[in-house]
Amino acid sequence: MDDDLIVCRCEEVTVGDVKRAIEQGAFDVSGVKRRTRAGMGQCQGRTCETLIRGILASELSKRPDEFRLDTVRPPLSPVTFKTLAGGYDE
Amino acid sequence: MSKVCDVIVVGCGVIGAAITYYLSASGMEVVAVEENDVGSGTSSRCDGNVLVIDKKPGFDCELALKSQELFETLEDDISFDVEYRQLGSVLAVETEAQAEGAAQWHSAMSRSGVRVKYIESSDVHAHEPMLAQDIVGLFECASDSSLNPMNLVYGYVLAAQNNGAVIKTRTKAKRLLLDTQHHIKGVETSEGTILAPLVVISAGVWTPQIVRTCGVDVPIVPRKGHIIVSERTFKVASRKIQEFGYIMAKFGEEGQRDVEPEMEKYGIAMVFEPTPHENFLIGSSREFAGFDTTCNMEVVSLMAKRAIRFFPCIEDVRVIRTYAGLRPYTQDHRPIISKVDQVPGLYIASGHEGDGIGLAPITGLLVSEMLLGCTPSVPLEPLSLNRFM
Repeated sequence: MDDDLIVCRCEEVTVGDVKRAIEQGAFDVSGVKRRTRAGMGQCQGRTCETLIRGILASELSKRPDEFRLDTVRPPLSPVTFKTLAGGYDE
Repeated sequence: MSKVCDVIVVGCGVIGAAITYYLSASGMEVVAVEENDVGSGTSSRCDGNVLVIDKKPGFDCELALKSQELFETLEDDISFDVEYRQLGSVLAVETEAQAEGAAQWHSAMSRSGVRVKYIESSDVHAHEPMLAQDIVGLFECASDSSLNPMNLVYGYVLAAQNNGAVIKTRTKAKRLLLDTQHHIKGVETSEGTILAPLVVISAGVWTPQIVRTCGVDVPIVPRKGHIIVSERTFKVASRKIQEFGYIMAKFGEEGQRDVEPEMEKYGIAMVFEPTPHENFLIGSSREFAGFDTTCNMEVVSLMAKRAIRFFPCIEDVRVIRTYAGLRPYTQDHRPIISKVDQVPGLYIASGHEGDGIGLAPITGLLVSEMLLGCTPSVPLEPLSLNRFM
């Protein structure tokens, strides 16, 4: 895989960025995320998490399924502040 | 096989990372052990404040001002971009009564050497056009700044490694080891025993459980706080903005704001922080809920409501994530940076509540001064473990 290839479109993170994060000590999806912002954007890792598992697996000589996905946090899809605030009143 | 070094640092969040950096810079052989990944606990579930404006006048301001000074050269010192932005911070005042009540606080801050400027109602919207129309005034502190907390952890860690420090992740400290004289002699970890004549515990909310293994109680409890992350959007404000009532919520003084009982119950106060990535974070809440970090949507909903009260323009901005972290709370809202009298060689640097990011440099410096026997940059008495005895 070319190091310039974009893995996370929301935060514009490349394969090279992910490899560097692993080199600096990241050993799971969350660690890559904290070091590169991959998965922190609009889609919250829906596309890039699987790709990152693949890179982790090849860099650390493991199987992709040995890497757990990042913690899922609400909201599951983006909602406006208005909706979130109103949710309590009703 | 036992490994021997000069000092072991237990817990490598932002505090442990800063300590490891300062100690390794002084030439000591340091091994830091971290149960998970560096900065994977409280330091990655927070915002990035380097504030003086929200400190109690007096010693707490002195401590925060010293730390701010250290931040000014930090990026050069560690050769790492931590997204440090000294844009100042602002407290938004809701009513004239609140402004009058703030006069005493304002003069006490001046006496503590913190320059806080009051901006009258006629000028509020020239400074912060997106704030609600009824906001009557702003307190502005120019020296306050923001940064990316995770970059701060990684910057310290990489600089410490360059100095020769060893950072062992996925290594759980199980028990502190003492010699027959009751002096510290090392740490038993999940990956073997490490021996050293000095041990510093910087495990935040997890500090009490490890220190208890040698029979000493540390009065730190987890205080849960939520943060809301927005999508990338238009510019709401370019610097940190908090409601003046935040100061009261932080110090547990209730009943001074005109808000619903639920807001007081969860210590909700609006904190707005822009990031350099075109989105913003919204805080804040406070709860004693043990070690639970699941998001309480009732709390998040109240926080969103409170944020709209100050910034009506964000109504239709989307929220992409919420998260909760555990702040290491002490009763007087001050960290413990101290030797442990009962166990010579053992030190604690924990309990920074919501100030760990901002106080990381001064904490690292103070610990290195304690261990090397130098004159401390600030008096250590107000930070001692003994103050709770």
